[in-house]
Amino acid sequence: PPPNSELFTLTYGALVTQLCKDYENDDDVNKQLDKMGYNIGVRLIEDFLARSNVGRCHDFRETADVIAKIAFKMYLGITPSITNWSPGGDEFSLILENNPLVDFVELPDNHSTLIYSNLLCGVLRGALEMVQMAVDVKFVQDTLKGDSVTEIRMKFIRRIEDNLPAGEE
Amino acid sequence: TVHTSLDVVDEKISAMGKALVDQRELYLGLLYPTEDYKVYGYVTNSKVKFVMVVDSSNTALRDNEIRSMFRKLHNSYTDIMCNPFYNPGDRIHSRAFDTMVNSMMMQVC
Repeated sequence: PPPNSELFTLTYGALVTQLCKDYENDDDVNKQLDKMGYNIGVRLIEDFLARSNVGRCHDFRETADVIAKIAFKMYLGITPSITNWSPGGDEFSLILENNPLVDFVELPDNHSTLIYSNLLCGVLRGALEMVQMAVDVKFVQDTLKGDSVTEIRMKFIRRIEDNLPAGEE
Repeated sequence: TVHTSLDVVDEKISAMGKALVDQRELYLGLLYPTEDYKVYGYVTNSKVKFVMVVDSSNTALRDNEIRSMFRKLHNSYTDIMCNPFYNPGDRIHSRAFDTMVNSMMMQVC
């Protein structure tokens, strides 16, 4: 049977609050979360490709579908919706109606600039880098900050031509 | 009033002794009435104590309503404990908790 989701949520919460104690400002915590996420992403992609057996994506739209419908479902049990495509097809949004990382979390007033789930951005960035895509990922809406949904914006920057070994940050 | 009632809670718990082992939650009922207030108690199996002070003039409030209020408080308290930013023992500053308490109060007042 799959492990309990509360333990997962509490583990992530413990990680974030420990970082908040170790670093004195939200901005540094956000950077650390992104870095840690990146290190997870560059490894997780192998597991993902092996388990999902998806082939190479032909365009960014396919990538978006794979991320939302397969990857998020596989690892977080949720299926975000894909919206707000840019005219050039190089940018889109993932809308998460619920986010298991933030169950029971309420951001205290002194951490209003904390991007609590920033680990996710790093994971996506690291994973895509391993399939030769340089992307920019950031949260633009967050239910923890009072928004009605959580929105992650993903932007395709460029294809990575060199086949460098797995990055590490 | 609340501090005195905590002593009564402790008395009741030690008085009930063995019965405690069998029950997982303990609705303690009316702790003691004073002129102005009725005080109700509830203790969890994690030894967290909830005390509710009700104005004596409120005669409409029934026992099972009070039990259900304590249950809601207990559930919200559990949710607060899961907030990684909450340190056990701190004063509770939770929007979700306040919303629940307010809506509960609206129902009974």
